[in-house]
Amino acid sequence: MEEEAIVLRIANSEEYIDEGGWDDDETILLQSGTKILGVHPMVDDFEAWYEETYGEKVRVEYSTYGTNEELYNQMTLGNTFDVVCPSEYMIMKLMEEERLQAFSDSFFDPGEEMNYYIKGVSPYIDSVFRELKMGDEEVRRYGAGYMWGTMGIVYNPDKVPREAASHWSMLLDRAYYKQITMKDSVRDSYFIGLGVLHENELLGQQLIQDPRYNETLSAWMNDTSEQTVARAEQILSDMRKNAYSLETDSGKADMVTGKVVANMQWSGDAVYSLDQAEEDGVELAYAVPEECSNLWFDGWCMMKKGLSEDRRKQNAAEAWINFLSRPDNVVRNMYYIGYTSVIAGGKSNLIYEYAEYCYGAEEGSEDTVEYPMEYFFGAEHENTLVAEKSQLERQLYAQYPPVEVLDRCAVMKCFSDEGNKRISRMWTNIRCFDWTELF
Amino acid sequence: MKLRTFTRKQLGIPYALFLVLFVILPLSVVLYYAFTNEQGQFTMENFFAFFTNTKAVGTLFYSIMIAFVTTLSCLALAYPTAYILAKGMFSHGAVLVMVAVTPMWINFTLRITALKEILNVIEGNLAYYPFLNTVIGMTYDFLPFMILPLYTSILKMDSQLLEAAEDLGASGWEIFWKVMLPLSMPGIVSGVTMVFLPAMTNYVVLDMMYNSTYIMGSLIGSYFNFYDWNNGSMISTILLLMIVLLSWISGRFGDSGSREGGASL
Repeated sequence: MEEEAIVLRIANSEEYIDEGGWDDDETILLQSGTKILGVHPMVDDFEAWYEETYGEKVRVEYSTYGTNEELYNQMTLGNTFDVVCPSEYMIMKLMEEERLQAFSDSFFDPGEEMNYYIKGVSPYIDSVFRELKMGDEEVRRYGAGYMWGTMGIVYNPDKVPREAASHWSMLLDRAYYKQITMKDSVRDSYFIGLGVLHENELLGQQLIQDPRYNETLSAWMNDTSEQTVARAEQILSDMRKNAYSLETDSGKADMVTGKVVANMQWSGDAVYSLDQAEEDGVELAYAVPEECSNLWFDGWCMMKKGLSEDRRKQNAAEAWINFLSRPDNVVRNMYYIGYTSVIAGGKSNLIYEYAEYCYGAEEGSEDTVEYPMEYFFGAEHENTLVAEKSQLERQLYAQYPPVEVLDRCAVMKCFSDEGNKRISRMWTNIRCFDWTELF
Repeated sequence: MKLRTFTRKQLGIPYALFLVLFVILPLSVVLYYAFTNEQGQFTMENFFAFFTNTKAVGTLFYSIMIAFVTTLSCLALAYPTAYILAKGMFSHGAVLVMVAVTPMWINFTLRITALKEILNVIEGNLAYYPFLNTVIGMTYDFLPFMILPLYTSILKMDSQLLEAAEDLGASGWEIFWKVMLPLSMPGIVSGVTMVFLPAMTNYVVLDMMYNSTYIMGSLIGSYFNFYDWNNGSMISTILLLMIVLLSWISGRFGDSGSREGGASL
């Protein structure tokens, strides 16, 4: 009798996976001659691959959600998923609530042929994950990275000097009154508020030379004490009054049409904005403020309740993560989504080649620079790209920021319930009606 | 005919099912959360928390302001339009009604997107006038809902009554105030209900018009984003109570004339 297909319920953010259907002229031809083309949706390809590789049928029930909170609320209301892809803080929250299933030991075995994740994950990302803990447990045991990036400011270099866009306090600058958009996101805005609050210390030499720099930075950027929240509220309230709007999606288009001259953006969306603007003949740039930025990532994790200790299911779930981490699939997803994968490729050169395909300088180009990405691809791997000089401020900088930028980044963790309450109250205070703004 | 074999009760089953699944059940969940705390115990605290929170009351005020101004401007624009259309001042009245109403068939986010670009040209920077833009956007959005009921009720008005008023010496204004307006009251009431209530919660228009101040709809959403289902549900309940109250009031207003031909959609 044929065994029943394994049903894998996967929930992911909207438009966060290659859905196939590329035109032929979208074929990506890499240096080594590898051609990459997304014909079928990634989900279908996985089903076919799994059956071929493991001889078992798997059926994916794929659904999407808008925000981490939406996913959390869905699960609280009784939706059961096997594999989900939330952001770092939500992974930590789910870990804390003991709702995640740890990966099996074999998932971390680089000797296994199909273990594309552990073989390919960037050494830099892996080291960040190793340091990230919830209680005593390492986050990497429960979450496998998917996409990652920074947060910064997309700006129009004709209207804004790079120096201005390199500081969070730009958002308070009256010179750009009603010309900058902020993200309609409490956590990201709070981070920026803290960046402005600690501006002087963050830029001062004293902190930068401190051997405990990383710990201090992380502590400051995750501080939700009453006093700090109150001070951040003041800053953010002024920022909101100075801002053009708080947006979730319109910022990208508004940059292109010129309604605003700068907007706060996640690096992947920044790449998208820059690409779109280019098509319309507008050149934009991206800067990560010097004070500090938020190093974020989204990662796949397995839900205890969904898997309910079904070994076959867990195998399929881990295979899903590995399949997405296979270098050619990584390229497909990166092309489709525009974000940067945590996968560097390990022994495979495809992902580096894709970076070269996108940003390598054309032959005969004069204004070029060497762009080192050793931290990401590793020392043994090809890692230094010759790129157009403008890429120092553009897509390449957004996708693979220089190591100096990352040194100043901190991961924003999941806050305590108390902390969450405080910042939510702060946000409501900032957003609610204020008599002075009636007219 | 086969249909005859169904009783009236049986025919009501599909809607009853719909009602239970999509109205009564979700509503009970909302009510449950509204009157419990995080531990699931009964409490009235959420109710009082709303009214002692100045920011929440401010949001209520702001929502009412937006809805009120929107309703007024809709009324001011729709009444003359409906009058002209209904009184047949143009030979192809029905066609003109279509012209006024067809925008309703286009998805409102599309309409607002277009409007945004027009306003952007006029104003230069939309972010300077968030309140004004919101009201313009909402008026644009809801205007057809005001025109239609007014049109129907003016259309059905007996023009002999107006002529009689004129014969008896009433001035133009007097005819309007004392005869026409009272007679078109059912249309006004149903128009106002259809504009005022949705305008209080339609936060999509605010978002699209770059107005980042919360109204009731967005305030509720923010509570759910912070896992505070109890207070979020309470605010929904309060809003629901206000809607019930307002429809009751408007029902009483419109009652006398509705059988005479007050329009409802």
